[in-house]
Amino acid sequence: MANRRCFQTLTRYFHSIKTPAPLSQILAPTSAHALRQTLTPKLSHHIFENKFNLYPRSTLFSRHFSSRDTDKDEDDDEDDENEEQWESGSEDETAILSAEDKETEAAEIGYKVIGPLQQPDRVFKPYEPVFAVVQIGSHQFKVSNGDCIYTERLKYCDVNDKLILNKVLMLGSKTQTVIGRPILPDAAVHAVVEEHALDAKVIIFKKKRRKNYRRTKGHRQELTKLRITDIQGIEKPEKITPLKTDKKEKLAVGAS
Amino acid sequence: MSLRGVWQLQKLIVSFCDWGGSSRGIRAFMESQLPAFREKNPQLEVVTELNRGYHPFLKGLYKNKNERVVCVKNMSPEDILQSATRLRNSQGRKVVKLKTRHVTKHPSVQGTWATDLKM
Repeated sequence: MANRRCFQTLTRYFHSIKTPAPLSQILAPTSAHALRQTLTPKLSHHIFENKFNLYPRSTLFSRHFSSRDTDKDEDDDEDDENEEQWESGSEDETAILSAEDKETEAAEIGYKVIGPLQQPDRVFKPYEPVFAVVQIGSHQFKVSNGDCIYTERLKYCDVNDKLILNKVLMLGSKTQTVIGRPILPDAAVHAVVEEHALDAKVIIFKKKRRKNYRRTKGHRQELTKLRITDIQGIEKPEKITPLKTDKKEKLAVGAS
Repeated sequence: MSLRGVWQLQKLIVSFCDWGGSSRGIRAFMESQLPAFREKNPQLEVVTELNRGYHPFLKGLYKNKNERVVCVKNMSPEDILQSATRLRNSQGRKVVKLKTRHVTKHPSVQGTWATDLKM
């Protein structure tokens, strides 16, 4: 456990080394005072900043994820820059979304499409006593291997596609827990799309008293069912799997 | 849908009328989009039925022996394709309000918390 923590702090440290170079380039026109302010906040914040400078179109949305209370002071300087970038990005925006745009949109929600499930893939494994807290859109789920979750409809993925959910907030096993601040960058949860379906009908009924006003409207929410296949980024105890194989072997011996 | 990689929709019945006006859309659909749909879903058995004097419908037969019928009268070919893919993408369960959006067999990894638990 101690080793793991050391490793994480190390990786964070490397991140911090990487980030200043592009940041300083971007922030060059602003005053030195602002620069000092931006460099002081926490590391996780840095990473996010870097991200939304890379994807200018996503600036407005990814702000929600960054920690707001630390960057209040620098908002004025930052906003000007971001707006400029955003405008320049929107000029070459077309109605038809390219694959890259789809990817960035998916990344904002917190998933990445890998491709269809092939027949020889053995992704469905027996249960392992490991859990992860994963964020998809604005919902968070505590999942472990073999669970299924219903999320809001995920775009650009078909049934039987494999996904990677990369917004992992927490990992845990029987003996250890790893908490992200706010996310764990080197953890991933693998999932398979199982169903795009409609939820049960919800009836929206509006009524005003004494005015002879009634409106009824039905709504069916689109949902996507995901099955979690794998959790990566934490070492798994090897207790359960050998037991099961033993049983199978015994059965095989008994049968023969 | 596919449950752990197994497609749940087994058979799709496309019923139409060759004369009626409400079947205009589905006739166009069978001309243009149905061959592509059939090719895309080789696991699926697609049957066309001629039912004269009736409104057209799509009927999906699922692996869990459920069936789902969608009326497609007066619909455009694009809408019909959408409802066909929706039949393919769904599991064939009864439409009920979900009690929870998270279904698990193993609710706790580190053990349930209790009031007398010493940390």
